[in-house]
Amino acid sequence: MSAPPKPVPLTTVESTETSESGAQTLTLSVGPQHSGSGHMRLIVEVDGDIIVNVAPDPGYVHRGIEKIIELRNIIKSIPVIERPSIIDASNLNHAWVRSIEEIQGVEVPRRGQYLRTLLNEMNRIMSHLYWLSIYGVFLGHTTMFMWPLGDRELFIDLAEKLTGARITYSYLVPGGVRRDLPPGFAEEAVKRTEYFEKRLKEYDRIFFNNPLFTSRAKGIGVLSKEKAIELGCTGPTLRGSGVDADLRKDEPYAAYPELDFEVSTRPDGDSFSRAMVHMDEMRESCKIIRQIVKKIPSGPIRRKAPIVLPRGVAYGRVESARGECSFYLIGEGGDKPYRARYITGSYRNMAAIPAVLLGNRLADMPTAWWSIDYWPVEADR
Amino acid sequence: MSLSHEREDALVQKLKENFPADIKETNIIRRARLEVTVAPEKIKDIAVFLRDKLGFDHPNGVSAVDYNRESRFEIVYHVSSMGIKDMRDLVLDLKESVPRNAPKVGSLVSVWSGVENYERESFEMFGIQFDGHPRLEKLFLTDNWDGPPPLRKDIRFPTD
Repeated sequence: MSAPPKPVPLTTVESTETSESGAQTLTLSVGPQHSGSGHMRLIVEVDGDIIVNVAPDPGYVHRGIEKIIELRNIIKSIPVIERPSIIDASNLNHAWVRSIEEIQGVEVPRRGQYLRTLLNEMNRIMSHLYWLSIYGVFLGHTTMFMWPLGDRELFIDLAEKLTGARITYSYLVPGGVRRDLPPGFAEEAVKRTEYFEKRLKEYDRIFFNNPLFTSRAKGIGVLSKEKAIELGCTGPTLRGSGVDADLRKDEPYAAYPELDFEVSTRPDGDSFSRAMVHMDEMRESCKIIRQIVKKIPSGPIRRKAPIVLPRGVAYGRVESARGECSFYLIGEGGDKPYRARYITGSYRNMAAIPAVLLGNRLADMPTAWWSIDYWPVEADR
Repeated sequence: MSLSHEREDALVQKLKENFPADIKETNIIRRARLEVTVAPEKIKDIAVFLRDKLGFDHPNGVSAVDYNRESRFEIVYHVSSMGIKDMRDLVLDLKESVPRNAPKVGSLVSVWSGVENYERESFEMFGIQFDGHPRLEKLFLTDNWDGPPPLRKDIRFPTD
């Protein structure tokens, strides 16, 4: 691989370069428009229409959240921590409270663990549906844009019943969760997940088995297993390359050890594989939600936890919708952390962007790029 | 889940046997979490050993911590293993300290290529120089940012 292209001046849209051998390449600045997920730019060098060089240019939505957390009480930080990925808010929230509880030595009651898992899985479906709708519109399939966004409301309503909020819940707090299950929730959850599973079959019919999609996604943006591991990829990006790594199984947390579900992997590492991993995970999440409402134990939902962070260090991580989300948390006895290093799934998978794009045609860029489910806001924090 | 730390102890043992003079401190935080503080000039050799001999093939992240009261930065490489399935829950923190007035260390991009972005972020947010990094430029900050590295402890928000 040649050296990465130099950032082009902000005013330039494109520039041509001639190498010593006389070959001409064109450097394009793709972005930083809001491409459905937050602002970011890719600097792409093409030879003809083959991508020969890519440099991601993130940072357009950087908020300095690590600094903000350092200056705030650990409880007040919860809404801030959800902001990088509001469509996957509870999973990010979970990584935070897990790290805090680890330093505090607080055990969460079993019912609280089940409720956390319930919201996490609902969030996984919501996040994957949002991803799918953008994927649809990227590929010019307007129905696949409308349907997932419509069906996402099934789970948004359910989450509202449980937490009182549609998108950003701040539901997980150190020691447990904020609210218990409302009456009639179990029946509603079963009804909605069963309906949603029928809808997934229709998604297959209209999109995933459609040559319009398969011919554009199969063999495009291949990321080998070795490369995915070496680059530190996680989540569906890693599993799409044939590694059956999932923290819900590998480092079982919350209620996951007591639930029955499969880790979905695909061996090929192309855009199609990564898309199918997302689909499989939505099916598994439906199964998990039904198991939870069926076997949720009774008891308290929350144990009293101190609002100070004792001296200590923790590396708390969870499997969020886009991969592993972790906090490297250092406490020094006050109510604020000394350092809270926040690494999200999208940030980890940013390293895969050049790897999946190189060698593909420019027209295949949307297919390959969006299959990583890279969320600029989550990566920038 | 067992409560013993046999696996972690064995890892620490192997590291100490192979690098008796360069492992400064080891600490098992809990099951599946351990910290190893090493001499900065030997970190690359130890990283290669971790990757090739102990199976830590997956870079999980890099954190920089500013201990301004002790006048040092700490750089923490969080590494895990994908190749060895039984070790996937384990995260090893490979740590090194550099003086705050001359923050310069060797880059580990040649060992784990996935640390490239994290090292770039530590460079722009803390001002730590990584020798041998292929592209040590700003990542998140704008190109025309000329203020101090913003995540250092002595940088305050205007509203503080």
